[in-house]
This record gives sequence, C-alpha cells and structure tokens, in this order.
Amino acid sequence: MRFIEPRRNPWRSLSGEDGPVVGIQPVANLLLDFGQWHAFRAQWPEGMRVGVALGNDVDVEELAPDLPRLTLVALNFPKWVDGRAYSQAHLLRARYRFEGEIRATGEVLVDMLPLLQRTGFDAVVLRGDQSQDAARRALGFFPGHYQGDVRDAQPLFAKPDGTADALVRKAAPQFVSAGEGI
Amino acid sequence: MYQYTEFDRLFVQRRAAQYRDQLTRNLAGQLSDDEFRPLRLQNGWYVQRHAPMLRIAVPYGEINANQLRALGRIAREFDRGYGHFTTRQNLQFNWIPLDRSSDVMEALAAVDMHGIQTSGNCIRNITSDAFAGIAPDEVVDPRPYIEILRQWSTLHPEFAFLPRKFKIAVTGAIEDRAAIGWHDIGLQLLKNEAGELGFKVLVGGGMGRTPVIGITIREFLPWQQVLVFIEAIVRVYNRYGRRDNMYKARIKILVKAEGKKFVDAVNTEFANILERDAGGTEHVIPQAEFDRVAASFRLPEGLVEATEAAPPQTDVEPAYARWLQRNVHGHRLAGYRAVTLSLKRPGQPPGDATADQMDGAAALADRYSHGELRVTHDQNLVLPWVRQSDLHALWLAAREASFATPNIGLLTDMIACPGGDLCALANARSIPIAAAVTERFSDLDELYDIGDIDLHISGCINSCGHHHSGHIGILGVDKDGAEWYQITLGGSDGSTLSGGAVPGKVIGPSFAADEVPDVIEAVVDTYRERRAANEHFIDTVRRVGLDPFKVSANGARRSTAAAHAA
Repeated sequence: MRFIEPRRNPWRSLSGEDGPVVGIQPVANLLLDFGQWHAFRAQWPEGMRVGVALGNDVDVEELAPDLPRLTLVALNFPKWVDGRAYSQAHLLRARYRFEGEIRATGEVLVDMLPLLQRTGFDAVVLRGDQSQDAARRALGFFPGHYQGDVRDAQPLFAKPDGTADALVRKAAPQFVSAGEGI
Repeated sequence: MYQYTEFDRLFVQRRAAQYRDQLTRNLAGQLSDDEFRPLRLQNGWYVQRHAPMLRIAVPYGEINANQLRALGRIAREFDRGYGHFTTRQNLQFNWIPLDRSSDVMEALAAVDMHGIQTSGNCIRNITSDAFAGIAPDEVVDPRPYIEILRQWSTLHPEFAFLPRKFKIAVTGAIEDRAAIGWHDIGLQLLKNEAGELGFKVLVGGGMGRTPVIGITIREFLPWQQVLVFIEAIVRVYNRYGRRDNMYKARIKILVKAEGKKFVDAVNTEFANILERDAGGTEHVIPQAEFDRVAASFRLPEGLVEATEAAPPQTDVEPAYARWLQRNVHGHRLAGYRAVTLSLKRPGQPPGDATADQMDGAAALADRYSHGELRVTHDQNLVLPWVRQSDLHALWLAAREASFATPNIGLLTDMIACPGGDLCALANARSIPIAAAVTERFSDLDELYDIGDIDLHISGCINSCGHHHSGHIGILGVDKDGAEWYQITLGGSDGSTLSGGAVPGKVIGPSFAADEVPDVIEAVVDTYRERRAANEHFIDTVRRVGLDPFKVSANGARRSTAAAHAA
C-alpha cells in the first residue's frame, strides 16, 4: 500500500475555482472527474497519463471500455462508513482487470486499510489527522483470511492442505503487541 | 459441535489484539468516539443506557459447558453477575465498563469466542434451528453449511460497511424454527426431485418499522454455489441499497422498490461472477471442503444408540409428566432426547441467566449432555444429547437448578428484548410487562389449557423482541414521555403450527402499561370462549378475525379510557 502525501502528489484535478471547465488542455497527470473524462475522452491523446475520479454512486461498468487508457482511478469515501467504493474497487480488479492504480480518497481512516488493501486499492490519501504508523499496524493483525479477495482470489479452503497450519506457525512468533507505539 | 482449528483460534486472538489497538487509540484520544463507534460495534460493543452492552456471538446457537462457564466468570468479574440470551442465539452483557472491554475480548478468545459482527452494518452472526443436527424432522444438518458461511462472512473486506445490518438464517428441517422468512436472507436446505442438495433462497425479509416477509429468489440453488449467490445479493445491496435514510436502508426496501429488477440484477451479478471474474469460481464449495468442515462437527464421544425402544413409563408423577410433555423433544438418535432448560420463570426477565445459573446449566450439560448446549431463538437453552434413561434424573437436577419450568411453547415462554430498563433505543420497558404477564398466568393448569401460543414483546419498533411475529405481539411506544403498548394478533414466525410467516395486525390504540396484563387475559379468554375443539390460539384468531378480540381488549381500558375522555 502506498501512502500518498498531498504535497508530493503529482496528480492535478480541474475542479472548482474557475467555474465549470469548458476546455481541457491535455497534459500528463490530470485527474478528471467522470463527466470531464466523458466529455474529453475522444480527444485525449493515446499514451498520455490520465486518471479518473469516480463518485461512489457511479457504475464502474461505464468506465470499463476506457480502463486500458487510464493510469489511475480514484475512488471516493464521502463518509468512511459508506462502503460502496469497496465494491467498485473489487469490480475494477476482478471483473474489468484494471491494472493501474486504485486510490482511496475522501474520509480515509487507518482502520479501513485492511479492507482497502483486500478489495484492490493500492494507494491511499489518508485524512490529514491520521497516523501512518497506526495505518501500517492495522495491516498486520491477521495471519490470513477465510475468504478470497482480489489480491488472492483463493479462499483458505481452496488452498493446498496445510496452508492454514503454515499461516499459524508463521504468525505465532511475531504476535503483534496491541497498542505498541502509542 | 464445531471444533476450532488452530487458525480459527489465532484469528479470534488477533481480532482481540486489533480491538485492543483500537480501544487504546480511543482512550489515548487518537481515535474519536464517533469513529471508534463503528469499530466497536463490529465487535459487539454498544453504548447503552447505563454502560456499554456487549453482544457475544454464539454461532448458530452452539456452545459448550466450558464456554458457558467462561461467560459466567465474565458476568461475575466484569458485569453485575448476569447475562441475557437473545432471539438471535447470542448472549448480551449490560454493565461492562468500556475500558475493560478488550480484557473481555481476550477472555472470550481464550475459549474460542468473540463478538465479531454481532452488530454494525455488516453480515451479522448467522442463526439457525436450535435443534440443528439432532431434530427428527431434519432433511439435512445445516451446521456445516452455516460454518462455511460464517467463515466466508467473517471480516469480508467488501461487505463490512453495508447500508444497514444484514441477517442470515438457515434451516435444514421441515419445521422452520429459524424464522427464515423474517431475515435479509433466509436459506432452507432441501433436496430436489433428482435427490440433489441445495437451498431455497429467500431475500428481503425483516421486521422494524416496515415488517416484510422475504420473497423467494431461488427455488433451488445447488449448495456448492451458495457463497457466490450470496456474494451477488450482498454486492447488489451494497451498491444500490439506500443510504440516505437509515429507516429505509435495509435490503427489504430495495427488494420491494425494485421488485423484478432487483432479482434480475442479482441473477446477472451471479452469472458475471462465475463467468467473468478473475477467480470467480474459487468460492464454489468443493466437496472436500464440505467434508472437512462436516467432520469438524464431531459427535460427542460415547453416544450409544438404543437398539430397542424404551419401555413405556407408567405411574409418572404429574409434574414430571408435564415437563416431559413440554420440555423434552424428539431426537434423530434412538434412545436420546433434546431437553429445553427454560429461562422463563417468575422473578427473572425472559432469557436472563445469572452467573450461578450459567454454571448450573454447564454442570447439567457436563453430566447429561456430553458438555454441549444450544441457545434457542426463543431465548432458552437446550441440552442436545440427553439419554432417555437419564430424563428423570435430569428433571430433578434441572428443577433444583431453576430450569425446569414446564412451559416451553406456552404463554409464559415468551420472547422479550431487554427493553427500556437497559436499552437506550427502547421507548418503553419490556421486563415489567413480561413479569406482570408471567405473574398473571402462573397457574399451570390454565397455561396448559390455553396451549401453544407465541407471545413476543419488543420495547421499541426495532423489534428485537420480534413482536411482529408473535401470535400476540406487544410493542412499546412512547407518547409524550409515557410508556404505551400496542397489541398485535395473528403474527407468525413461519412454523407449521403457526402457518407461513406473517406480521400480526394491530387491534386498536395503544394500551397503558397497567392495562396490558388485563388485555392479554381478555384476548386469551376470548380465544377460550371461541375456540373449536383442539384449536390453537393462532387458528382461532385466523378463523374468527380480530373483531371479537378488539371488543374484549377494549373492555380492559381504564387509564386509556380516562385519557380518551379527558
């Protein structure tokens, strides 16, 4: 999982300050919203890095034909307890085979990290007050999981005999001491 | 019962460690109360009227004596010495300080227990028939399937923040003792004409403000595909369920609003997963996995099936005969019986057990039931492996330990939520109403004459006491700060006795608390006057309609009559 520092983020969006966007000069690393992309996708130069930010009520199906052209898809959590973007990410990876970056934006809290990672996000912009240490720790609690996910589609039961035991042996010595580092 | 693997054990330990990390950050001011809330909820921690409430998962109601003793210890050390068994086969504590909550999670993990997904907007702990695996009318033992479902739904990364809570119930018997029609998803195991095993799948049931019975979305789904089909349902719900209004956020609202479109969307999603997704067929359950999990449901050692029928008992004491009639149930193994330990007795709220009673029930389980128990949907405990020849000794011991009230299925075997005494959501108290009804109907001859009847009491419209599905339902409502009670008649969980699942109908304006026992008595008296020979309460209500009951219930209005006159 990559943690994106807003200051070092090369991606630029075109929203807001100057009113509605009427024309877009294609430059690399533009992060467009779905409407902007829809309007300019035909003119967008092949091979130029571009990203699309999707609202969590957009059907990712609509973006499917364009995915090979996108470097980045940013999925938004308007509230952290609104879990729609997890399904969007899952579909982008599992169904539409999107291989670019999927970035979580909006209200992104450290305790979401395990869910984000397992549904296909590979980058996050944490909310400003969140601790990266706590976020990294949040990724380390479980030895494995029962159900498959987009990183590893096989559920535990489909894995070779002895896998669960091996996970237990591997995990036991490095038991995460809870609250460490606070 | 199911035997934890080392992985299962490590998993719940790690869950406790994760929770301690979250609690520590909360107490250190690094995680706000608002943001801690959904995290603690998904471990069963509510903050209630007096203190946090902890809901502990008892998956499909199976618990062993050691676990029950551990719950007794927790009751003594952390709570005020008692707990409450719920309609969803869980156990709740009411008085544990939040700063000790992670100590409790660790104590639970030490006996293979947890509070994972007993609350929150996620797939909740899955419920079933309390007689699963032992019922004579069972087509297939549902427990291995539920365990596979439990594992699949545990910390599912995509479905942890759904629009609202999501409840699944499963039955494998002919008689539906799990009220599957009332759940977000109801599953019934059955065999098709070719003798293959699968599920009938219901979706969109639920109680609350809008009681709805689930619709059948699949008449027959091959069992191997059940995880994939549920994934399809929950994904459609996660994407399209309403999030703007929490009272319209359950899947039942989506199913009702979209109808066939919802069904089509699920079927399309199901096909897409299997045909298009990377790894989309990985969750089709292989026979080998089923066999592995089924083998983890070990039969207790030392079970000996009887080869010949027990001699008929003659000259049985009347009190014992009553207990045999009400509290003892058939068993699939010859020579064995299932026995209900009644948690419905005067002086204690329905479903409550003190720490000493938990120890007592654990001791009975060790002595008479190979150390195993079940928690029932009706808030009682069941001993699943009792030898027929031990019944009399068990009866004596159960009587001694306060569990032998011979009232199972009768009026005083009522369902009730904790209500306004403990719950912050409640509009009115349930416990005093339950106590008043228990006191009013303390005569066993009268109770037996009234016969089988489901009385369900909820302290508010959230319906934890399942008032909608009671033959008689009592719902607490708040009017200008006072407690009032709405009475419904004719509801059903969906059992053979009660017919298909259906919500009850209101019989008129709400009643004052002190009128409720009189109203129940008036309703019951009307039944006794009107019933045909051998007719159960619910059948009389259906045959004669609500009017005679309304008339007699109105006769019990005193405070409400005064209030209306004023």
